Amino acid sequence: MTLSEALSQGLQVTATGLIIVFGVLLILMLVMMLMKTIFYRPEDGNTPKKAEAPATGAPAEVVMDDSELIAVLTAAVAASLNTSTYHLNIKSYRRIDTFAPAWNKAGLRDVIDARF
Amino acid sequence: MLESLISFLNSTGIAALIENAKAAIAAGTGGFDQLMGVIGTPLMLVIACVLLYLAIKKQFEPLLLLPIAFGMLLTNLPMFANSGAIMMHPEYFTDPAYFIDGKTLDMNLIFTKGGLLDLLYLGVKLGIYPPLIFLGIGVMTDFGPLIANPKSIILGAAAQMGVFLTFLGALVLGATIPGINFGVNEAASIGIIGGADGPTAIYVTKTLAPHLLPAIAVAAYSYMALIPVIQPPIMKALTTKKERQIVMEQLRPVSKTEKIVFPIVVTIVVALIVPDAVSLVGMLMLGNLAKESGVVDRLSKTAQNGLMNTITIFLGLTVGATATAETFLTGETLGIVALGLIAFCFSTAGGLLLGKIMCKLTGGKVNPLIGSAGVSAVPMAARVSQTVGQKENPANFLLMHAMGPNVAGVIGSAVAAGVFLAMFA
Repeated sequence: MTLSEALSQGLQVTATGLIIVFGVLLILMLVMMLMKTIFYRPEDGNTPKKAEAPATGAPAEVVMDDSELIAVLTAAVAASLNTSTYHLNIKSYRRIDTFAPAWNKAGLRDVIDARF
Repeated sequence: MLESLISFLNSTGIAALIENAKAAIAAGTGGFDQLMGVIGTPLMLVIACVLLYLAIKKQFEPLLLLPIAFGMLLTNLPMFANSGAIMMHPEYFTDPAYFIDGKTLDMNLIFTKGGLLDLLYLGVKLGIYPPLIFLGIGVMTDFGPLIANPKSIILGAAAQMGVFLTFLGALVLGATIPGINFGVNEAASIGIIGGADGPTAIYVTKTLAPHLLPAIAVAAYSYMALIPVIQPPIMKALTTKKERQIVMEQLRPVSKTEKIVFPIVVTIVVALIVPDAVSLVGMLMLGNLAKESGVVDRLSKTAQNGLMNTITIFLGLTVGATATAETFLTGETLGIVALGLIAFCFSTAGGLLLGKIMCKLTGGKVNPLIGSAGVSAVPMAARVSQTVGQKENPANFLLMHAMGPNVAGVIGSAVAAGVFLAMFA
């Protein structure tokens, strides 16, 4: 095979191949979008506005039975402090924004530390 | 007694080593071929030991590299020609002189004269093992992140760019460098390394270019192990710091119905367009359906544990056993190793670039780093996206977002494989 033959055949196959791969996966994408409209019902309510609510994660915690979550939190804190869950008593919990300013985080840590 | 001792000594591997070296020197055509005839087999043993070292000490995909390297060791032990102790005869599968009419495999010969590894290799040759591995992968795969964010499937397609560009590169290399004979079949098998999917690469290569199987398998699995080294520099070079810091919206929950319908629909859609990809995609989706349906717990457990582990041993061992000095110690192997790396780089770049485009189109809602996870290598590539993203913003969790393109990459590379098989097989 000469270089020009190799180039022309290679380019041809590359183009066809990429078109087919993109085509198949695009069709699958459409299928998945269709699936969403047919099968997906947001848990609380039918309006699309509320559909985005559970996506933030916070409301899910409110709805959940607290005792389980608190058990998990206690276990996690106990593990990270190398102590027994027996010594801990979770009084409240609050989700903090991942972008909370450093000062807020430092303040929070001070409050927590003060309780030990 | 002395006589029986001498005849025993003459049957040892040491005697075979000396005998084979003598024969090579006597029959040699001089130069490189003759040198390889003498030191080729011992050199392969050294290479096998190096690969074993990489698998055990450096933990490069040890689950596959260890059996591959040991298969390589077994097949290169010095033996007399026609010895009954030979476990593998790669020539039965690649040399037309052993075929019926020079075309079809001589099954009778394989069954009567073949060793253990010959019989096990039939699973590779007949295309049995890769789909069964895909069955196990299907059970372990969660398509949830993909279903939640269907657009990410496009990133899985973009990452197949490396497959086709490397195909082009291999053809050009074959045309320009004397001594490297890469036709379209070889080029396709090398390109598919860029899919970063071992079973897919083996499935294509065993059909299109069986003589390159060991080199391609070793290259594919080694580079998959090296993904955490190969990808980050490319990811950093192609994205800006600001893009890497983008935090993506949390994915919506996916209902069980969607997860059950997905594998069924994908199988049908893929079969309608690329029938050649069905044995891979179909088994992948069967495994996934077994998991998601939740009614065949025993089957899904077997598929992802017992069956998959068994097949992995058979596949690794026999693929390694095809690596004899004549097929492995060639300039082509070097070409494959180089092109394989290029394939990985282009695939990573393809995914990233499309990720950037999606980032622009969505007004900065998509972090382009998840694009590089479009090369299959589940879940390693997704973990790399997560790690690189977290370096810029420690509170950023890209893992689940990257799993979407990651599992899409598995489907994408299987489709690319189907395209090659449809064109050249």
